[in-house]
Amino acid sequence: MTLRDVRQRPHVVLIPLVFVAFVAAWESIVRAWRIPDYLLPAPSAIARALGLGLTNRLYVEHAWVTVSEALLGFLIAAATGVVLGTVIAQFRLVERTLYPYVVAFQTLPKIAVAPLLVVWLGFGVSSKIVIAALVAFFPVLVNVIVGLKTVDAPKLDLMRSLSATRWQTFRFVTFPNALPFVFAGLDIAVVFSVLGAIVGEFVGSQRGLGNLILQFNTALDIAGMFAVLLLLAALGVALHLIMQAIQRRVIFWAQPDHVIGA
Amino acid sequence: MPASRVLPYYERPAIRGGQEDALLITAAGLNQTYVSQDRSVVPALADVSLAVAPGEFVTIVGPSGCGKTTLLRILGGLLRPTSGTVHLLGRAVTGPSRNVGIVFQDPVLLPWRTVLDNVLLPVQVLRLDRQTYRARALDLLGLVGLKGFEGKYPHELSGGMRQRVSLARALVHDPALLLMDEPFGALDAMTREAMNLELQRIWRESGKTVAFITHSISEAVFLGDRVVVMSPRPGRIADVVTVELGRPRDLDLMASDAFGVYARKIRQALGPRGMLE
Repeated sequence: MTLRDVRQRPHVVLIPLVFVAFVAAWESIVRAWRIPDYLLPAPSAIARALGLGLTNRLYVEHAWVTVSEALLGFLIAAATGVVLGTVIAQFRLVERTLYPYVVAFQTLPKIAVAPLLVVWLGFGVSSKIVIAALVAFFPVLVNVIVGLKTVDAPKLDLMRSLSATRWQTFRFVTFPNALPFVFAGLDIAVVFSVLGAIVGEFVGSQRGLGNLILQFNTALDIAGMFAVLLLLAALGVALHLIMQAIQRRVIFWAQPDHVIGA
Repeated sequence: MPASRVLPYYERPAIRGGQEDALLITAAGLNQTYVSQDRSVVPALADVSLAVAPGEFVTIVGPSGCGKTTLLRILGGLLRPTSGTVHLLGRAVTGPSRNVGIVFQDPVLLPWRTVLDNVLLPVQVLRLDRQTYRARALDLLGLVGLKGFEGKYPHELSGGMRQRVSLARALVHDPALLLMDEPFGALDAMTREAMNLELQRIWRESGKTVAFITHSISEAVFLGDRVVVMSPRPGRIADVVTVELGRPRDLDLMASDAFGVYARKIRQALGPRGMLE
């Protein structure tokens, strides 16, 4: 990186600088005031906990459980969201009949249902998958409906001038036109699905990063908790970047102006 | 007058003989009303009758709100008139026809399709043979001056180029009638003049019948064999001016006296409210 690059894009330097400054301030405050580890561990202690957890594969095993729960939930949410959203957007009667239920169900905090699902489906992974799916489902559904209804009239006129069938209009215009919205929904959903899995693990579980947080909490291992939080943040960023990469390839014509991480 | 492949309508024997069958599209007694938000009935078109001969280039000029677009939508079968009839190739128009190609105000290209696939959209929708029409689509892209651009996407093209793609798309299924709704209205003046020249050439080479809507008097005179002048609220035909200028017309013609005479005549027909240029 040359000096000119830095002048043109100062944030490239400022972003890591803020991180370094923040961590340094944290470390020195903890040391200067001798804050005990069970209240606020120093960054160095968190780094040690993270290193230890990663090397003895404890975190990796738990993380794998949470990731698979979240991804399965996400896939279920994406599939049902796209299918149901399409049916609702395409058929007036279905929309009028189901929409009040969709709104009612959407206003309900989905995580409040988690204890019920654990009772029904047990402490294993299935209850977490369902909670993750439930939380991730609505952003997909709403975006699919909005996307399918946001077609500009001239495009529909064009199809009508060609006497296109309903299916042709859907296939050639309405569906591809909705894809940017669908991906915006999926991007939110993938993050929500991790949230759902963690909440499910909080309510009742044997494994997973949520479970690990509870274990560390009971043991007052605050450095361990922070390490898991870091892991979750990294996981969220990774999922988001994967979604963005897929998005860039599938809906290449609707490029966002800014790309996170670039 | 230079020889042109397509005779102006007034030189054609069929028109001179007054044979109705020879007309490509006729509109008789068209009225269109719509109900506004305060529930009053607003007339958009009043008693509009029009006949266009095969190969003729008719321009329809008028200020905003004179019902030009409404008229075009009725001719294209996209809108049913409140009363009156339209006949295309001797048949009553009840809906969109594959004998009509429409160029809209905006290019209305599908951004996820390449230029070639955009041109081939009517072929796909009408379930025509893709292989045959692929060659035709490539020829048409050459005709509109976009040879070599078939693999590009719309966002890689300029506004004028996009409207050329839209023109090729309107021609690909070989419709008898081309309806154009202020297609160059969004372009800058210089691109617009260049597009007018191009359109004249394409029209002469393809032999299509064109109904072209514009709010520019000079564009109407430059392109039209006949200029239909419309007045607003409700939209009615104020005058029909036959433009007896030779073809091909070039941009210098716009500065000539003859051109000025036609432009003045149309401006007078439009009245004080029509002074938009």
